[in-house]
Amino acid sequence: MNPDTLPAVVDCLIPPDDFPGAYDAGVCDYIEQLLQTDLAEHADFFRAGIDAIDTEALATYNAPFAALTREQQIATLESIESGAVKTSWPIAPARFFVMLVNTTAEGYYSDPQQGANRGRASWVMTGFEEALDS
Amino acid sequence: MKNYDAIIVGTGAAGGIVACVLAEAGKSVLLLERGPALSFSDVGRDHLRNQRLAIYGHNAGPELIGNPRVFVDPEGRARIVKPHELDYHNNAACVGGGTRVFGAQAWRFHPADFRMASKYGVPEGSSLADWPITYETLEPFYERAEWELGVAGDGRSIQAEIPRMRNYPLPPVPPSPHTVALQHGARQLGWGTAPVPLLINTEPYGGRAACIECKYCVGFACPTDAKTGTQNTVIPRALATGNCELRTSAVAETIETDDRGNVIGVSYFVNSSGTPQRETARSKLVIVSAGAIESARLLLNSRSSFHPGGLGNEHDQVGRNLQGHLYPRAYGLSPTRVFNGIGPGVTVATIRFNHDNPGIIGGGMLADDFIKPPIDFWYDSLPPDLPRWGVANKRFMRDNYTRVMHVRGPVQDIPNPDGRVTIDEAVRDTWGIPVARLSGTTHAATVESAEFMRERGEEWLRASGCERVWSTQPGLILSGRQHQAGTCRMGNEAKTSVTDEWGRVHNHDNLFVVDGSLHVTNGGFNPVLTIMALAFRSAEYIARLI
Repeated sequence: MNPDTLPAVVDCLIPPDDFPGAYDAGVCDYIEQLLQTDLAEHADFFRAGIDAIDTEALATYNAPFAALTREQQIATLESIESGAVKTSWPIAPARFFVMLVNTTAEGYYSDPQQGANRGRASWVMTGFEEALDS
Repeated sequence: MKNYDAIIVGTGAAGGIVACVLAEAGKSVLLLERGPALSFSDVGRDHLRNQRLAIYGHNAGPELIGNPRVFVDPEGRARIVKPHELDYHNNAACVGGGTRVFGAQAWRFHPADFRMASKYGVPEGSSLADWPITYETLEPFYERAEWELGVAGDGRSIQAEIPRMRNYPLPPVPPSPHTVALQHGARQLGWGTAPVPLLINTEPYGGRAACIECKYCVGFACPTDAKTGTQNTVIPRALATGNCELRTSAVAETIETDDRGNVIGVSYFVNSSGTPQRETARSKLVIVSAGAIESARLLLNSRSSFHPGGLGNEHDQVGRNLQGHLYPRAYGLSPTRVFNGIGPGVTVATIRFNHDNPGIIGGGMLADDFIKPPIDFWYDSLPPDLPRWGVANKRFMRDNYTRVMHVRGPVQDIPNPDGRVTIDEAVRDTWGIPVARLSGTTHAATVESAEFMRERGEEWLRASGCERVWSTQPGLILSGRQHQAGTCRMGNEAKTSVTDEWGRVHNHDNLFVVDGSLHVTNGGFNPVLTIMALAFRSAEYIARLI
């Protein structure tokens, strides 16, 4: 698995703005942890999906996913979400994409004990919690 | 072997109350609970593994491994399900049962809920029936539950529909900004509203502290013990008498009968030394309070030559009429921030649509909702046309988490005999006990009611100033879940019910079911206070027998 791919993918799913993107919030750490615990039996499926994203990017743009422009990244993910992929996927792309989106949101929006949502950034962003005065 | 006056299986809303009433009446009680006693930190605050959002696990039992059930989908395909999956229809397995982690809405049923068949007739394919008792019969026991455990609310606001002799002991939770908006919207529509009654201490009560307004009511345990379950009220009272022995992590296997088929005690497994041990306790009387699915399972698993189909099952009634509630949910985007971070979040309801809706059998209560942690909101509450990822999704979470108003409510279930619990001999739990097999769905009329209520939810939100409104509509599914009920319904006829009006199993002197299993119908309300009121009534009766 290309180590640059998942960070680029999760930042496309929850991009940085005034508040951290998914990568800076720790979502990759959350997903990695999950693949070794609760989602262990789906880990091969998930990793195959990440590899297939790169394959798809190379076939379409002749570059790995992390090297694409944001517009190219979004277009790639949209085609995976809808199942309209150009390459031959070893797994069901749309089903993989649901797992990818859900786990990214779980890490970003759930409690920091899960391994992401560092500094409770998403809770401050949503207003679930007030910002702590530093 | 010690011979108790009574053995009670289950420490939830009903079992805890029965234990308390019997122990305080001087009876010796063995109270069995399949789960442990859970502390506040045991329950924890895991946003992905709690009773409301149980993606990878849950927090009030049973253990994910070793406690399977079998679920049969509407197409007839059976599969093994784990306790945290929706199709398991879990409630909880710990001291206090579901009351350890519930949201604590404490509604009485409407008087008409007790006579559904008389009021509406019996739709084809349904087992809709009247209760053998009326609201008036249960009214004093509702009051007893409200005062002995402690309910906060305003009885005057629902007096016209649900008359009472005495108000609640505690004042209602204070309004939030969304409360004011919903009250205003209801006034525009000519609908009445009421504060939601809650088993939550809005002031110190019963030796416990007041609510500190945190955001973690439903699905979690209370940090100040202000949320009221049986584990912090009636069970401590029962234990304080010295007459009640509580055995936790004690899993009932069968109800024992003698060589004439009479009930004499309960066999159960404990695991105190690391190896499962089977024990049998004797009693004059056995009370099954394990919840609608597990109570039915225990009766069905208690077979002998006298009772080849299980106890109380001579007429194939045990486990039938499994019901709960469909929950239509509506959401609206308010032009202003309506979230102030003050829990529990549920504050205001309308009971205008519980009955007398054109073309609808029953109806239901609609209320706002408990505060949702952001990930629960992300899974549950986003508009269906919003992208699930990208800038638009993040922006919606950022801008609108505090602006979305929530309305939902339990719809009166129209029961049918094919929604049921049976036993799957081929699948065993960790103790070797055959597990519950769940099959069937609610009646199609329930879905019609849910659709009607979904529309009322949207209507309410629009009148409350929401610019944009969306909703979800439940389909034709089995509706048991945390409001599970009906599997040992009470009635006057042995052929169409399992127990008499006291919960005594037909043709038995000393075997009782006391929990939501007794509900003939399940009201258009959260059922816990009705379970509690019935428990007080049955327990008083049982105390006089022994």
